[in-house]
Parts: sequence; structure tokens; C-alpha cells
Amino acid sequence: MFFWFIAIAITAIACTALFYAAGRRVVNVDVPEMDDANSHFRLVLAGIDADLAAGKLGEVEAQAAKGELAREMLRLKAEPRHVVASAKGLGQAPLLAGLVGIAAVTLGLYAVLGSPDLPSQPLAGRPEAVSQSIDLEDAIARIESQLTDNPDDLRGWTVIAPAYLELARYADAARAYRRIIELSAPTADLQTSLAEALMLASNGAGSPEAVELLRAAAASEPTHVLSRLYIAAELTRAEDYPAAVTAWQDALALSKGGEPWLITAQQGLAVAQNGGVAPANDGEAEMIGQMVTGLANRLSADGGTVEEWTQLVRAYLVLGDTDSAQAAYDDAVAAYPQAFDRGDLDTLALGAGLTLNGAQP
Amino acid sequence: MAPGDGDTVSIELGHFALILAFAIAAISTVGGYVYWRSGQRIALVLSQGAVLQFVLVAVAFAALIQAFVTSDFSLLLAVNNSHSLKPLLFKISGVWGNHEGSLVLWIFILVSFGAMVAAFGRRLPDDLLALVLATQSLLTAAFTGFTLFTSNPFERVFPAPLQGNDLNPVLQDIGLAIHPPLLYAGYVGFSICFSFAIAALISGRIDQAWARWVRPWAMLSWIFLTLGITMGSYWAYYELGWGGWWFWDPVENASFMPWLAGTALLHSALVMEKRNALKIWTIFLSIITFSLSLLGTFLVRSGILTSVHTFASDPTRGMVILALLALVIGGAFALFAFRASSLRQGGLFAPVSREGALILNNLFLATAVGAVLVGTLYPLLLDALTGTTISVGAPFFNLTFGALMAPLLLVLPFGPLLAWKRADVVGAAQRLIGAAALAIFATILISALGGVSISLAPLGLLLGFWVAFGAVAELAERSKLGRIPLGESLRRLFGLPRTAWSTALAHFGMGVTVLGIVATTAWETELVTTLNPGETAELSGYTVAFDDFQQVPGPNYLSDEGHFTVTAPGGGTREMMADRRTYVASGMPTTEAAIETYGFSQLYLQLGEPLDDTHVVRIWHKPYITLIWLGAILMALAGVVSLTDRKHRVGAPQRARKTLASPAE
Repeated sequence: MFFWFIAIAITAIACTALFYAAGRRVVNVDVPEMDDANSHFRLVLAGIDADLAAGKLGEVEAQAAKGELAREMLRLKAEPRHVVASAKGLGQAPLLAGLVGIAAVTLGLYAVLGSPDLPSQPLAGRPEAVSQSIDLEDAIARIESQLTDNPDDLRGWTVIAPAYLELARYADAARAYRRIIELSAPTADLQTSLAEALMLASNGAGSPEAVELLRAAAASEPTHVLSRLYIAAELTRAEDYPAAVTAWQDALALSKGGEPWLITAQQGLAVAQNGGVAPANDGEAEMIGQMVTGLANRLSADGGTVEEWTQLVRAYLVLGDTDSAQAAYDDAVAAYPQAFDRGDLDTLALGAGLTLNGAQP
Repeated sequence: MAPGDGDTVSIELGHFALILAFAIAAISTVGGYVYWRSGQRIALVLSQGAVLQFVLVAVAFAALIQAFVTSDFSLLLAVNNSHSLKPLLFKISGVWGNHEGSLVLWIFILVSFGAMVAAFGRRLPDDLLALVLATQSLLTAAFTGFTLFTSNPFERVFPAPLQGNDLNPVLQDIGLAIHPPLLYAGYVGFSICFSFAIAALISGRIDQAWARWVRPWAMLSWIFLTLGITMGSYWAYYELGWGGWWFWDPVENASFMPWLAGTALLHSALVMEKRNALKIWTIFLSIITFSLSLLGTFLVRSGILTSVHTFASDPTRGMVILALLALVIGGAFALFAFRASSLRQGGLFAPVSREGALILNNLFLATAVGAVLVGTLYPLLLDALTGTTISVGAPFFNLTFGALMAPLLLVLPFGPLLAWKRADVVGAAQRLIGAAALAIFATILISALGGVSISLAPLGLLLGFWVAFGAVAELAERSKLGRIPLGESLRRLFGLPRTAWSTALAHFGMGVTVLGIVATTAWETELVTTLNPGETAELSGYTVAFDDFQQVPGPNYLSDEGHFTVTAPGGGTREMMADRRTYVASGMPTTEAAIETYGFSQLYLQLGEPLDDTHVVRIWHKPYITLIWLGAILMALAGVVSLTDRKHRVGAPQRARKTLASPAE
């Protein structure tokens, strides 16, 4: 409630300031319409006189300048003045309506957007942050003692669970995740984390409980990737290959492309399809070869970005084809003669023993 | 930690203040546009509203800074962009090193200008003041609303994590602390010109007085923008480690276009103020300049461009900004189209005159804006419409922009020497003979000394010297140097109005920048090589010895430092240190180049990735490169000089001078 008192007070002050501003009569009212222009002309006239006195302007020039100024003033006076049509004076009613509007919009909007009950939490004032250099073990000890006093502290458990995982205290981590699920609700993420902790605690083997948790997580959230990956890995480990293939495919179906787990999942699928043995690498090398040739042809025909050239040079180096790498590097240098355009390409090439030909100023 | 504790509500207080500012701005807009005719009361209320908006946004901004400084990770923005180990300065600058925070900075500057108009605008007619402040409130309401509804910087996290994710390491630099605020002050300052233009169009008040009110605001914004761009250019030069100072990057273009338009506006407003001519064009330029500022904001904020500047990659935000842009710019141009025909043109003049020269300046600058705009937007539009990705690179811009600037620079020295209304071009040319001769002599001298490797370089140098000496010639002419006794001449020189000094200084600065650009482009040398500690490399007479290499921990990063000893051609050795940093929180590396200044030239060293014991080292020698930024600083300084001149004078017909000038020329 305290916050709302401050908020309403601020709104009231702002509205009062606006209300009284309308009653103030200190400015423009005494300044006639032409006053600003007149003071400007006076300044110019004084300037001309000063210049005349200082010898910067001759008599003739000064006369001409004053003539110009007079014409200017006449022209301005002749212009129809703006009649400030006070047809619609700003009365008290619209002013008050505006102020009420301000108060209503502000308080209403803040009620929707704000978190009035959430205090600021500067790091120095937080019990779990012991010092600027956080000693993880020490911090965990402190949180543990807090949790002993208050085992229902959801925030304490939430902080400590990933820290246990980090420190390889998997059984404790599993206990913490269990407590979080009890205190809050079993979300897919929490169930997966618990399963992860359980599996790690038993050196990677999936207990029935872990598998059950993972299946529950996958079922509760149709797009939950991590639980599906663990299920597929567990099936592969348990040598249930037909089911593993389906599970890997399920997980891969959720890919939008480019995820960090994609390669692992593809490899897992290949292993499962191959009856538990990683497939031979011939096909892969051939595929890389084809991709490299495709890239090389495209770059030599249409040119490309420095990144693409770098990719090509790197690919040749990986394939052990130093001559082609050197040729590609030469082409790239020809395409980008400025060293700063080439970015890390130089680093890669020179580091791999290629030579920089041409393009040196 | 109870919610009732007074110290602990600052974040929510800031949030509330921002919302209150939004409400005041929104109601001010409606009230202002409905009641602008009703005299003093509405002007007073809107002035008070503008001041309140400023105070409230300042409170909001301070609350964010407070949360970052105290590492309050219950604020989502601090979690995403801060780290408790970050040095204090970067904790503060981290507030605006991201999408949401930079919008708050943008709004803060917007309301600061609004409050300045309210404070200094007491002499303005009530109806004009009311319309200006209503328009300013419209902008505040639009951008505050955008911030609150799509990018709220006050979003909270519960439970609060113990550590933040750190700020993009490239942005952890003193440059970030200064560059965006300066640039934004420039961008946003032009909102005042925009608001004045809208007010003029609605009220029909378009006269010399209008130009007199607008010009200081345009000048102030232009100074900020000039410094902001200069700072950004130098920052990119030393921080990004490519040794380039201008990349025609869309984000750079986004700040450069308002600068070009703003420069044109300064010159056209001069004509309007002195001669009551070019009124419609000046209004048009005021709208264009701020529209380009908004476009710049859109390009950077929408996530359309993928670069270090793009913090937002959420397309909804982009669409909302685009809608705001369409509303503000579209509305302004609709109003312009509707009202411009009813405005009276005034002030006749002959083609050869000061007015004519300024129009020529405007034509070239406006065309240059067009060229940069096309080069920046065309690839984006093509990508959006057909999916084809093309890149319009430096060659396009160098060619079109260079071709447009060359004639502008060629005629530039004539402008200030021409009289208003009608002038004598032969007379002006005669007065510039000295400058031309000096420029040719200097060009030949430098070319002979420097060894010319690019055929266009001497022409570029000639142009730079011509502009610089032309500016000096104008001062010499006005002080009658050599035609009257020296003492008298000096007295005249220092008695010249500040605006004359300002013109000459700005044009001289332009010449200096041109010289820097030409010299560094023509004579830059570079060397990429692998070096082991103990080995040396040589470039343009400089000997660079790689002394040693060591790993040193920094406050929130690990640094690989390369130490070098450089022997200059004239003898004398200096130590240089280039390093690569790996930031702990993000694991991202940055390159910190070593830069050593010799006179106006610089030696630039960059350490590449270490490979076993060897290191790839890039060395550049950049002759006279600092002139580029020094010239720009001179231009900004010229703006400051002009602002201090309170004396506005009508054009004295200078034809009369001939009767007084000694016949020696």
C-alpha cells in the first residue's frame, strides 16, 4: 500500500502544478505581438550604429542598411496580424477534465503494467549474494542453512538446485528439484531437470522414475525438446533402436534449423538407424566434397562475402587440400584487396601456412 | 526488504513516473491541438506540462541508472545487460547500451528539449508556443507509449538471479558512454525544428521571426549531431579494429542523412531569416531532417539491420516503429501538402547572389541526402520485396557522394563573399585569387613530398586547400588585410561579428576534414604479417618490434597483450600495446588496437589470433588521419561560436563597399 500512497501523491502534485500554471499571469501577456520583432530591429539598428562608429561601415553603407531595415519593418507592419481568436477560451471544465484524464490514465496503466509489491533488490543488500566475488560453496552453505530454517522457501530451492548440478552434487540437486515441484507445480522444465539430476546421479543410466518424468514432461508440452532428446538418448542406450529412431525423429521434427542440439540429434538418429553403430564416414566425406565444390563454383562464378571465402578456405584445409586452399585464398585476396575487409581470413590462412600473394601496397 | 521500505521502491517509482509522463504528454497533445487558439492559459499549461514531463522522465532514467549501479537483478534489463563485476562507468552506460534503455535516453532528450522550449520560449506568441509544445508532446506520447507497450525497460524478474549476462563487450567502452547521448541529442534536437514547422503550417505564421526562433535550435542540434558522428567514427576506428573510419554502414548513413539535411536547413534558414525567401523549402527541410532522424531510429531499432548497433530483433517492435514513422512523417507531409500552397513566397533575388549560392548548397546537399538514402534503403527494399540480397558498398557511395560534394566544395568559398540580393561573381573571384594560388602551391608541394599513388589525390587536396584557404580569404577580405595598416586590419578582424567567424571556421573545418580524408585515402599503407616475439616488421619507415606477449586478467575479461616498440622515421621510440580481450561472462572476444599519434598521422597496430607461438599482426600507417575528426570538431566549434552571437543583422548591400575599398585589387 505504501507505494500507492507515493504514487497518488505524485499524481496529485503534478495535476496541481498544471492547474495552477493556468492561473499564472506572468509571461506573454505583457508582451505585445510586435514586441519581439521590435526588439530584434532595435538590436540590428544598434549594431549598424556601432559598426558605423567603429568605422566598419561607411556612411553610405550604413544609410543603405538602415533603409533596408526600414523597408523590412514596414513590410512586417503591413502584414495582417494574427488575430488570436479566443473564440474557444480554455475554460475550467476542459482543464479539470484533462487533469482527471491524466490521473486516470496513469493509475490505470500502472495497475496493469507495474509491479507495486516487488521491492528493489540491490545486490549488496541480498542475503544470498555474499560478496562481489561469489564463492559458490560458501553461498550454497548459507542458502542451505536458510532452507533448514525455512524449508518452504521456493526461491532458495530455485537458486540452489542448478548450483548443486554445477558442483556435481546430483543427489542433492534431485532432492532440490523434487522440493521445487512440491512447492510450485510440475512443469516440463522442472520434470526434465529432475530427471537429468537423477540420471546423472546414476552415472547416466535412466531409472524408471526418470523415464517416467521425461515422458510426463514430453506429454505435458508437445514442443518440449529437451525431454524428447533425453528419452531418445535413453532408448538408444537401452538398445531399443526402433523406438529410439521414432524418438529421435520426434525431437528432430521440432527443429526450426540451426539449434545447437541438431547435430547431436542427427548423429543419434544415424546411430539408432544403424543398429547402435556410428555409420561409416565415406558418405560424409563425399558429401562434404560435393558441398565444397558447389561453394567453390558459385564463388568463382558470382563472387561472395568474405565469410563464404573463409568457409571455402577452411573446408579445403580440413580436407587437407592445401593447393586448392591456397588458390581459393588468392582469389579471395583478389576479391578483397583491403586487409581490413578480409577479417579473420588472413589469420586462418597465414596460420595454416598459406602465403599472402599480391594486394600488398 | 518489505515492500514498505522507502529505499526499495525506486524501480517502481521510475516506472510510475514514466507512465505519468506518458499520460501528461498524451493529454497535452489533445488539449494543445484543440485549444491552441485560446491564448495564454493553454500555453502556460503546456509549458508546465513540458517541464513536468522532463522531471518525470528524469526520475525514470535515474531509477534505471540506480538499478544498474546497485546491480539490482530484479530488473530484467539489468539482468540482460549488466554484471556485478563491470566497472561503474560501464554499469551506467549499460543503461542505454540496449534497445529499451536507449529508448528511454531518446525520450529523456526529447523532453529536455521540450522543457527548454517551455523555459526559453516565453517571448513566442501563445498560439505558436502552444502548437510547438503540443507537437513535442505528441512525439513524447508516441515514443513513451512505444516504450511502455512493446519494450518496457521496467520489466521485473522474480526470483531475481544472482548475476547478470553482461553487456556486449564491444559496447563496453568509453565511446559508448558518450557517443549515443551526443548522437541522440542531435537527432532529437531536430524535433524542435519539426515541431516549429508543424506549428507554422497549422497557424500560418511563417515569417523571418520564425526562422530567427528556429535557427538556434537547429544549430544546437547540428552541433550535437556533428560531435556525435565524429565520436562514432573515431570509436569505430579504434574499437572495431578494422582501421577504417567510415564504412557507409546503414547505421552510419542513418546518422549522416539528418546531418546533411540539417546542414542544408541551417543554410536555408539563414536565407529565410535574412531575406524572407525560401520559406516553404525551409519548412520542408525541417520536416525532412527530423523525418530522417526518425528513419535512423527505425533502421537501428527495428532490427532490420544486423550489426553491432542492432539490439532489437523483434519484428513487432519494428512494425510499431514503422507505424509511428508513417503517422508522424506521413501526417507532417500531408499537412505540408495541404498548407504549403497557401503560403506566400517572399524576397526576390538574382541567381548570382548570396541567396543563390545558398540555394546551390541546398541543392547539392539535398541530392546527396537522396543518394545516401537510395543506397541505404534500396538493398533493404529489394530484400523485402524480392528476397534478393545485394549489398551497396563503399564504391557506390564514394562515387555518387564524391561526385556531388566536389562541385559543392568548388563553389563553397564564393558563397560568403557574395552580397545578398545580387552580387558580382568576378569581384568575388578576384578576392579568391590569393586563396586559389596558395591552394595550388600547397597541393603541388604536398604531392611532391608525399609521392602520389592515386591519380585523383592531387585534385582532392586542391579542393581541401581551396575550401580552407577560401575561408581564411573571407576573413582577410572582411578585415581588409593588406589594404589598410595591419593594426587597423587586426582590429577589424577581431571586431567582426561572431557569425562571420563562425562561417569561416566551419568552412575551414570542412576543408581540413577533406584534406584528412584525401591524404589518408591516398597514402595509407598497410602490412599484414606473422610475428614472433623478438621479430620486427617495417612499414613506411616505421620499425615495429614485437617485444613480448603476455596474458593479463582485467576486471571482467582476460587480456592477451602484445607489447611493441616503434621506431619512427625521424628516430625516437615509443611503446605500444595491442590486446585481445575475452570477456568472462559472454566468452566474446574483442580486439583493442594500439594507436600512436605522430603529428597529425597515426600508426595503428592490431593483434590477430595467436597461432602457437606466432601472431598475425596488422600494421597501418594513416597519414593525416586525425585531420578528419579535427576538422569536424572545428565545424562543431563554429556552431558554438555562432550560438554566442546575439546580434542578428539584415543584409547590408555590400555593393556599396566598392566605393570605400582601395583600388589596389
